[in-house]
Amino acid sequence: MIAFLLRRLGHGVFVLLLVSTVTFAIMLAAPGGPSVLADPKLSTVERAEIETRLGLDQPPVVQYTRWLGRAVRGDFGASFLYQTPSLDSIASRLPPTLLLAGAALMVTLAVGIPLGMLAAARRGGALDRLVAATSGVALAVPVFWSGLMLVFVFAVWLRLLPAGGAMTEGGDATLADRLRHLMLPAIVLASAGCAEVIRYTRSAALTTLALPFMQVARARGLSSRRLLWRHALRHVLTSVITVIGLQLPRLVGGAAITETVFSWPGMGRLGVEAALGRDYPLVMAVTLVVSAGVVVASILADVVQMMIDPRVRVA
Amino acid sequence: MRRAVHLVWLSLLFGATACGGGGEAARTDDAVRLPIINDPIFNPLLAPDLGSVMVNKVLFPGLVRPDESLRPTPDLALSWEASLDGLAYTFVLRPNVKWHDGAPFTARDVKFTLDQIISATSGSRLRSDFGAVVGTDIIDSLTVRIRLKAPFAPLLTLLGYNAGMLPEHLLRGTKLTEFTAFNRSTPVGTGPFKVEKTTPGASVTLVRNDAYYGPKPGTGRIVFKVVPDINAQVAQLRAGELDLITIEPANLGSVQGAEGVRVLEVPVVQHWYVGFNAAQPMFASAAVRRALGYAVNREAIVKGVLKGYGDLPGGTIPVALRDFHDATAPRVPFAPDSAKALLAAAGWIAGADGRLHDASGAPFTFELLVDKGNPTREQSALAVQQDLARIGVTATIRTMEFAALVRDRLLPGTYDATLIWWTTPPDPDQFSFYHTAQDNNNVRYSNRTADSLLALGRATTDSARRREIYRAFQAVERDDPPVLVLFYPREIQAVGPRLQNVPKLGIRDALRHSEQFRVGK
Repeated sequence: MIAFLLRRLGHGVFVLLLVSTVTFAIMLAAPGGPSVLADPKLSTVERAEIETRLGLDQPPVVQYTRWLGRAVRGDFGASFLYQTPSLDSIASRLPPTLLLAGAALMVTLAVGIPLGMLAAARRGGALDRLVAATSGVALAVPVFWSGLMLVFVFAVWLRLLPAGGAMTEGGDATLADRLRHLMLPAIVLASAGCAEVIRYTRSAALTTLALPFMQVARARGLSSRRLLWRHALRHVLTSVITVIGLQLPRLVGGAAITETVFSWPGMGRLGVEAALGRDYPLVMAVTLVVSAGVVVASILADVVQMMIDPRVRVA
Repeated sequence: MRRAVHLVWLSLLFGATACGGGGEAARTDDAVRLPIINDPIFNPLLAPDLGSVMVNKVLFPGLVRPDESLRPTPDLALSWEASLDGLAYTFVLRPNVKWHDGAPFTARDVKFTLDQIISATSGSRLRSDFGAVVGTDIIDSLTVRIRLKAPFAPLLTLLGYNAGMLPEHLLRGTKLTEFTAFNRSTPVGTGPFKVEKTTPGASVTLVRNDAYYGPKPGTGRIVFKVVPDINAQVAQLRAGELDLITIEPANLGSVQGAEGVRVLEVPVVQHWYVGFNAAQPMFASAAVRRALGYAVNREAIVKGVLKGYGDLPGGTIPVALRDFHDATAPRVPFAPDSAKALLAAAGWIAGADGRLHDASGAPFTFELLVDKGNPTREQSALAVQQDLARIGVTATIRTMEFAALVRDRLLPGTYDATLIWWTTPPDPDQFSFYHTAQDNNNVRYSNRTADSLLALGRATTDSARRREIYRAFQAVERDDPPVLVLFYPREIQAVGPRLQNVPKLGIRDALRHSEQFRVGK
């Protein structure tokens, strides 16, 4: 187990190094360059001064090795846009993202797994067909559209929920206030993942229900409810865990659109701002933090699977 | 199990919606809520981005501020006087002004701020605006003199534009860019509101400054919410979570007729134009640039693309500059036939298919750059393309990200034409844009008469004479247009039912008067 973990961590470090090189190269090759330099009103002299101050006058290899040298010591440099250490920017934007991602994950699991199981139990029934149709729609509808529609229905017309933000800014941030702000973005962010989990659960459950041990259990006279929720569910979960592991990177790094529609102060938006502004230090820091998250999440998913599924304990 | 799951969800949904008392919690306090699109840097010298500019206009008053005619009026300075040779301005400062931390505001702060502005090492982004300033002298604690290397008429306007005053007692000694706490969370200004709280990525909350030197601010708080997406801004305005947003003509449909929302329009100091790179032989001739101007139906663009929220242009000095825009001069005519005649005289021959080509058979074709994502500019570019096609000129539109357009094409001069705009301080000085070989003259315009008028205009402080000079400049532009001005846009403000008493100015300038804002029932 420990050897396995060490090996996976070693792989992880290698992956991060690779990610950093590729990101840096793509970033420098991208057209335009830092937006702080794209102000048409800057004079040539001012532009040159800024380039020197930010180290952009150096050749790419020098820029990268300088960056790497500082990064391994934990210094990711100051953001061009915000003029503060990149890690500070990330630290302030990570908690809202984790909150939103956690809530969305809860919604995904609480809705996705039961619905997938039920759809499988009554394969071809009304519920199965309804779930198949809605999950198809949930996967297909773009988030910026469904998000705005929900905002217009619940915030503009019904005035039940707030239209954006993580809390009432300039007001009292009570728990209820935060929950109300969390609701719509969590549902929107969960919708696509939820559809995936439903479909995956359903097919895993169908396979499981056809296995010999299920038929034995049925022959022993267990109720179909007990059969489904006690015996089949456990078996299904072992394979669904991998899918859940795959959801994590999307929830943390890929929430940019949801965060934009709902003005949620999270990492996804920070990453987009950094990329659009060609804020090199911030782009690097965000990419690495998200990549590290992905690496850790996939290791965790493997560990959890090893713990609950004896057959995987080979390493 | 299934029922239990449903019950948990339903109770969460209803519980949370009920306990907040609906989505109108935002309406009960006396805070004004305005959107910004990015986290601000609280330092008017360092940050040219819109989010920072807006917040800093409230926190950091300047020596003067623009009134509704955009003329400089007293703010931190009570009065001023120019020397006869125009080389020195003496300002008498307002007494008993306190910084947000209680320290007195004095001449030392003014000198400190101006020294930082013109310093090559401070990180100041206002240095080129104040290139004429040589130094600042403290006469006494409430009197300062700004010395110039040459007479410079825009000085007062620029002092009221982005040059907010900074506290010497907190910032002396180190580079401005290194005061991270000040710049990001705990700034100290002299304005009617001071920072109460900043939440990165979410908001900046300002609270009334009871020690403000002017009238008591009319609202308790101003909350700048970070809402980068315009559709989200519209939704939040309509949900009562924002009180004023500025929108593009394309968004009008989503606010017009919405309950309680007023749509206002304010002329702003911008001119939007197609800039032809005069370094390209095909655009070198004034007659050709004039002809292209005659070929474009601006009225159709203002009606169709701007939905009427814009003014037809004469030259590059927009109507918002009432004192200097020549309203008596004719608008640029829409005259495709004159355009064709002018181009024919310039050697462009119409082929059998109606397309123009020169004597060697090379067609009149060029690439028109426009930045990606702004519907007004993209649609305007299409209209220009169609109008030009009608006189046989082929423009190929290429959309690029704004930063790439500016840095990779505009600044190096590797482009044919671009649809772009200038936002300027409320002064007619366009020396850096259209004087020969200036840094910002991206269109490579060069006209000797225009050069001397632009040089004279910025050096002349007598306003009547100055007016004549810029009239003459606009006359030159009619014969030799530096750019093809499309229109002067108006800023469209959508205002919610609560906010009142906002001066009729573009939102940035209006924020210089934030103490007047009121929140109604």
